[in-house]
Amino acid sequence: MPTDPRTPVTILTGFLGAGKTTLLNRILTEQHGQKIAVIENEYGEIGIDHDLVVNADEEIFEMNNGCICCTVRGDLIRILGGLMKRRDSFDKILIETTGLADPGPVIQTFFMDDDMKEKLRVDAVITIVDAKHVLLHLGEQDEVKQQIAFADVVLLNKCDLVPPEDLDALERRITGMNAMARIFRTTNAEIPLEKILDVGAFTLDHAMELDPHFLEEEDDHHHHHHHDEEVASVGIEAGGDCDGRKLNAWLSELVRVQGPDIFRMKGIFSVKGNPDRIVFQGVHMLIDAANGGPWGDRVRQNRVIFIGRNLDRAALEAGFRACLA
Amino acid sequence: MKATITARQDAPDHVVQVEWAADGSRITAVPATGAIFIWDGESDPLELPDHGLGNGWAAWHPSDNRLATAGYDGRVRIYEDLPRTAEPKVERSLGRGWIERVRWSPDGNWLAAAIGKRLLILDPAGEIRHEYAGHRSTVCDFVWNPQQPDEIAAVCDGGAYMWRLGEPEAFARFDWGGASLIATWSPDGRWVVTGDQTPSVHLYDFTRDEPLHIQGYETKVKALAFNSASRRLASGGGRLVTVWACTGKRGPEGSVPKQLEGHDGDCVALAYRGSSDLLASGGTDGYLFFYEPETSVRPRAVARFDDGVTSVAWHPKSPLLVAGTATGEIALVTVG
Repeated sequence: MPTDPRTPVTILTGFLGAGKTTLLNRILTEQHGQKIAVIENEYGEIGIDHDLVVNADEEIFEMNNGCICCTVRGDLIRILGGLMKRRDSFDKILIETTGLADPGPVIQTFFMDDDMKEKLRVDAVITIVDAKHVLLHLGEQDEVKQQIAFADVVLLNKCDLVPPEDLDALERRITGMNAMARIFRTTNAEIPLEKILDVGAFTLDHAMELDPHFLEEEDDHHHHHHHDEEVASVGIEAGGDCDGRKLNAWLSELVRVQGPDIFRMKGIFSVKGNPDRIVFQGVHMLIDAANGGPWGDRVRQNRVIFIGRNLDRAALEAGFRACLA
Repeated sequence: MKATITARQDAPDHVVQVEWAADGSRITAVPATGAIFIWDGESDPLELPDHGLGNGWAAWHPSDNRLATAGYDGRVRIYEDLPRTAEPKVERSLGRGWIERVRWSPDGNWLAAAIGKRLLILDPAGEIRHEYAGHRSTVCDFVWNPQQPDEIAAVCDGGAYMWRLGEPEAFARFDWGGASLIATWSPDGRWVVTGDQTPSVHLYDFTRDEPLHIQGYETKVKALAFNSASRRLASGGGRLVTVWACTGKRGPEGSVPKQLEGHDGDCVALAYRGSSDLLASGGTDGYLFFYEPETSVRPRAVARFDDGVTSVAWHPKSPLLVAGTATGEIALVTVG
């Protein structure tokens, strides 16, 4: 399969003081031989002085009035538009969001804007969590839940300050909110960069590289009494083939009605009469679908995960099962 | 009519902007990265230092050879002794952030620069004399009133604030909730106009104190140009160049625009030659077309480049145009 020629963009989120700046400094100073431009938010906790850093402003606007799913970052479009004119282009771009930001508009910028879509692709959303203080924020700050919900990778940082059993509990709670995220424990944001950069989490080929036991994790999470979490994952797994038209109609209706509450969605479906896997990836109302290649010897199995707010598991399961042929 | 390329030069990168000095003796070409070129069309260009991660803009003083440059390093430089020396007379950091544009006031007494959410007004010595802050979003562009050199419009917050230097409150506000890319103020002072990311153009009519919104463009509107009589506004948002009449009490309202054909890519650069009907249009298709919209919607002359035309500017006196391209070519084109 040909390599995507577009420049990968990593979106870095995390609450104030979680360690975003520490990670950015590490990325910029490490000898990785790559040219990485960093778009830092204007009100960064600590400014980074580096030739490859430019400040942005979190300027959000709506492509279509009133639709949360169509909010994008106007400042990013202008900055990245400028950077992409360069003959000497970048290997990677990293965008830091403010600690209080909803990552949605940043991600949507790369789905909604034609100029961005043509030259850039979202690689992954990395969320840094302060393991010591996150429980305080989870109770009070909706943004922290959203940042975890959008993540492809969660860095559980400052692990040296927290007992292992507390880390285990925290990890279970995060998994309950977002079962598709890979979680790494770090101290001083120290992590091999290949685990967070160019991981292809938004590549449809990789869309379902989930923990194969994510459903069990979900059950485990319920057993740990975190089912009161407002933000949660709902994973559905079922054998058999879907009716392609019913599936399309269900997903379209679902994101039309519940799009604002669905932060992320990934799915791989077995469609009747189709020898290939059908792969979906979504953010709010925006959905990408692609042919995921032949099933081959693999067992035809439908798997989909929704991460969002106030998700009705029973309704989602019923909706999906109605799509089975 | 015929367009002839008479001189060429290679800049180090995609040309963001070209502009003639007030006396027409030389041009600036601002590449996305690398040295900013000062070129007289004959000699080797003088190279001015770049602005780090990216260059923003260069502005010639309206009446002498002073030049201001700015960019992604958040710095403004003012040169006073060009082309004798490439050393700036003034260099000032305006803070953390990137500067996309700098513009002299029409009387040359002030230099405006926007960095992040702040619009700063500097004196020619580079001292900040006025600051307009507190905007909720980036000041993406700003324009001086050609008729009132102490009035400036800052485009941000889904609209525009009109400031009068020295006054603490904006004297007018134009709000449409969009996100703009560019702005222009008509030479007669009547219209402030923006080209937006949501494919649209927004005008504010000072004579009626009323806004006017134009939608239906194919793409983001990346180019706007008034002729110097302020009678025509050309706009580029897609393959068609749309020309609006800005005359009469209602201006473009209710009128049918001229839609100029020919481009096979997006029109991204426009410039009218003075008060005439001669309009230059550069496109991502590599074509530089010359239209006379009053008589035809088809190009009257054409120049072809190897890559997209990104910026155009007419000589202040002669039928001579400078064009920059996406691959860094700078060319002088005579039209006659």
